[in-house]
Amino acid sequence: MGEFLEFRDVAKAFGPIQAVDGVSLEIKKGEFFSLLGPSGCGKTTMLRLAAGFETPDRGRVFLDGADITGLPPNRRRVNTIFQSYALFPHLSVWDNIAFGLEVAKRPKAEIRREVEAMLRLIQMEDQAGKKPGQLSGGQKQRVAVARALVNKPQVLLLDEPLAALDLKLRQRMLIELDMIHDEVGITFLYVTHDQGEAMSLSDRIAVMDQGRIEQIGTPAEIYEAPRTSFVAAFIGDTNFLESEVADGLDGEYCRLRISGFPDVVAYNDKGIRPGHPVFLSVRPEKIRISRDRPLPDTRINVAPAKVEDVIYLGPTTKYWVRAGGQRVLVLRQHFRFFLDEKPIRWKDDVWIWWHGDDGFMLEGFRKGDEKLVASPPQKVGEE
Amino acid sequence: MKKKIQEAALTIPSFVWLLLFFLVPTLLVFVLAFRPPDPYGGIGPGWTTATIRDLARHPYWVIAWRTLWASAVTTAICLALALPSGYAVARASPRRRNLLLMMVIVPFWTSFLIRVFAWRSLLHPEGPVKKILVLLGLASPQTPLLYNNAAVILVMTYTFLPFAILPIYAAAEKFDFRLVEAARDLGARPLQAFRKVFLPGVRQGVVTAVLIVLIPALGSYVIPDLVGGPSSEMLGNKIAQRVFVDRNLPHASALSVVLILAVLAPLLAVLFRQRKKEKPEIILEEGG
Amino acid sequence: MRRSRLPFAVLAFVLVFFYLPILILVVNSFNASRFGSGWQGFSLRWYVRLFQEAEIWQAARNTLVIAVSVTLVSLVLGTTAALALHRFAKTRLQRLHYTFIYTPLVVPEILMGISLLMAFVSAGVPLGLTTIFLAHVTFCVSYVALVVLGRLQDFDDAVVEAAQDLGADWWTTARRVLLPMLAPGLAAGALLAFTLSVDDFVITFFVAGPGATTLPIRIYSMIKHGATPLINALSTLLLTLTFLTVGASQRLSKNKLFGGGS
Repeated sequence: MGEFLEFRDVAKAFGPIQAVDGVSLEIKKGEFFSLLGPSGCGKTTMLRLAAGFETPDRGRVFLDGADITGLPPNRRRVNTIFQSYALFPHLSVWDNIAFGLEVAKRPKAEIRREVEAMLRLIQMEDQAGKKPGQLSGGQKQRVAVARALVNKPQVLLLDEPLAALDLKLRQRMLIELDMIHDEVGITFLYVTHDQGEAMSLSDRIAVMDQGRIEQIGTPAEIYEAPRTSFVAAFIGDTNFLESEVADGLDGEYCRLRISGFPDVVAYNDKGIRPGHPVFLSVRPEKIRISRDRPLPDTRINVAPAKVEDVIYLGPTTKYWVRAGGQRVLVLRQHFRFFLDEKPIRWKDDVWIWWHGDDGFMLEGFRKGDEKLVASPPQKVGEE
Repeated sequence: MKKKIQEAALTIPSFVWLLLFFLVPTLLVFVLAFRPPDPYGGIGPGWTTATIRDLARHPYWVIAWRTLWASAVTTAICLALALPSGYAVARASPRRRNLLLMMVIVPFWTSFLIRVFAWRSLLHPEGPVKKILVLLGLASPQTPLLYNNAAVILVMTYTFLPFAILPIYAAAEKFDFRLVEAARDLGARPLQAFRKVFLPGVRQGVVTAVLIVLIPALGSYVIPDLVGGPSSEMLGNKIAQRVFVDRNLPHASALSVVLILAVLAPLLAVLFRQRKKEKPEIILEEGG
Repeated sequence: MRRSRLPFAVLAFVLVFFYLPILILVVNSFNASRFGSGWQGFSLRWYVRLFQEAEIWQAARNTLVIAVSVTLVSLVLGTTAALALHRFAKTRLQRLHYTFIYTPLVVPEILMGISLLMAFVSAGVPLGLTTIFLAHVTFCVSYVALVVLGRLQDFDDAVVEAAQDLGADWWTTARRVLLPMLAPGLAAGALLAFTLSVDDFVITFFVAGPGATTLPIRIYSMIKHGATPLINALSTLLLTLTFLTVGASQRLSKNKLFGGGS
């Protein structure tokens, strides 16, 4: 298919704030693409550049091969779902949906047909005469979707469309959005700060921070193979181990030296040379924990540890343990649970271990990113 | 009981004052329209409908029509200037917004007569505007700029425009400008977005602006008196003439009744429309 | 999306339209020329002449006396009205009261002038400074009441209850809590009343009678009789005074002047 919506070295500043700082991005036709990042990372500016609400200071934007950088919003075949929905309060649901077709001066009969089809799609045929003020949050959202889709845009832009909804409704709308995307088959550019939304909906995700793209990939790539400490820490939890490459092992593996820790084997797909410092990211669910020492294996990293904190979460339990002067987070899933089993408790001496393939050597590390993972227990429940 | 006394104590002073000096005098205008004048410029004894009949015989309808027409044109011009101005003030950065707002309000504080006078000297046959227009070849030295309907409308616009900008600004400030973005996103051109989304959004401000200009314009007296000619007299001038020139108070009263009706008409129209429009919405809001 | 420049262009035009006539008037007040047609050199002669016009200063004195007394009386009447409207908002009496307060604002000045004239003539009250005073209070009360009411609606009513809860009686509450909180609103209302009284021409003209002259009446007859350079000078003085007052009031009330008025 090739790229459909393309940003080429785009930059945009608002006064002293560099919102987007030289971003290049290619989105394929029909793709569900998400821009994921914390607030202020530039993702909304990217979306507004695509919609035409902002003009970039530098770089170009292309849609289906045509340069649309200077085109005003009304001349782009791109429609937006606003975070606040921005439904016209003085118009009925029907007139809101018909707005785009009416300004395009389509024939009356066609407008009627298209609007009715949309009302069916969002299952609101009986609410057509209501004003936005009389709708619930979920209904408003559906009207906003219909109002955009009725124009058959080449790309649908969604600006945190679920942020204003409560949790249960958000989950339902998530499924609905996914179904709508499958049904209409147009390209979606979805902006969110919620990794759960991005993961479950997207074909591909671009993780953004401070106006730049940190990584682009499928949800699994982003999660399992984060390139930078920011990606590793922003999406899910992780442990960062500061280390130095000691020597290469057979081909693809290498040995890492970590202060106060036994040497660690890691998969070195990036070919980092001995003597170089590197940060290793290990996801907590990849680490096993037990009172018994595991059988030795050349690919398995084992360390003695002491339990400092235990947080029981139902399907899983979180353990904060101290190993070689480091605090390590371990997540254990209860495959089988015996009530009479002697559980691991506070101050117990345990062993932790993980496979050399599960430690990820990061290309970039920024001090402070580890704060993103030092999550207090109550945040865990949100996942 | 104590509450009742408190309420009475706080209400009576202003209530009685306005009763005596506002309500009673206003009603008196209606009453005096049916009393004969006395030769000394006062009110004669007895009752008569002669004044009202006299009113119908006079060519007052020309003046009444001109009053309506000039006020409507002034209102339209004020609205045409106030809408973009109010929009611009509301969209300015917060720091600049206060300064702009201040600049719009300050003329309100300056003396009304001085503002009219300023225009009188500007439009004077030897004043600067005339000279520039002649220099540019846009007017001949004989073109009168003063003492005509155009001058009256110009100065009325000048006087009432700040009052039109303020309510429109107040409405625009509360307006969610993302709706304009949404309209543009859905394919509306800038002017379409303005007309289809912004204008309905500030409807209340527009209604207030219309009333706030139209009502005093209908009652204009000083402006046509100072910059208008004999053929630009308005109802206000006729009322003043009956009072100060012929000293016929019943006649002035009758004319005032006509003016009151002219003012009441747009006011009641708006009130009626609003009542009709807002009731169902309120009921539905309570239901949902 | 490039924002349209048109509204800003219109606003710029409007501001020029507002200030240019005033500016030219001020400049002309320093013009030595008698007829204001062309610049004939800087001069203060019109200001000097102005100070020799005894009639103007008599009119100014009258205006000031009336404005001060109108401000005081309408402040009292307007504030009590606002307190009543605020505290007993829902009663039938207050709804009528509110209509009473509100209607004078939408009545054209000339109608108020003529109706007051009729009332004074019918009641046999001799026209003069007293009738001007009565008329001015009548339209100032409404403005003061609405400005103070706007201020009252901004506060938390619980503070009055808190004061009473802490043992303050009605008088102490009014003096120690209500008054200080209302002060900016009162100042704004007073300023508005003062300005309206000083500036009013139409109503004053109707109820003044032959003897009493205020500054606007004097200015009007000067305009009518063509004393152009003198009015320029007088206007400049008044404008300076206005701008100083507006500046001071802005400090005082931080843009609250129009907070509750309309």
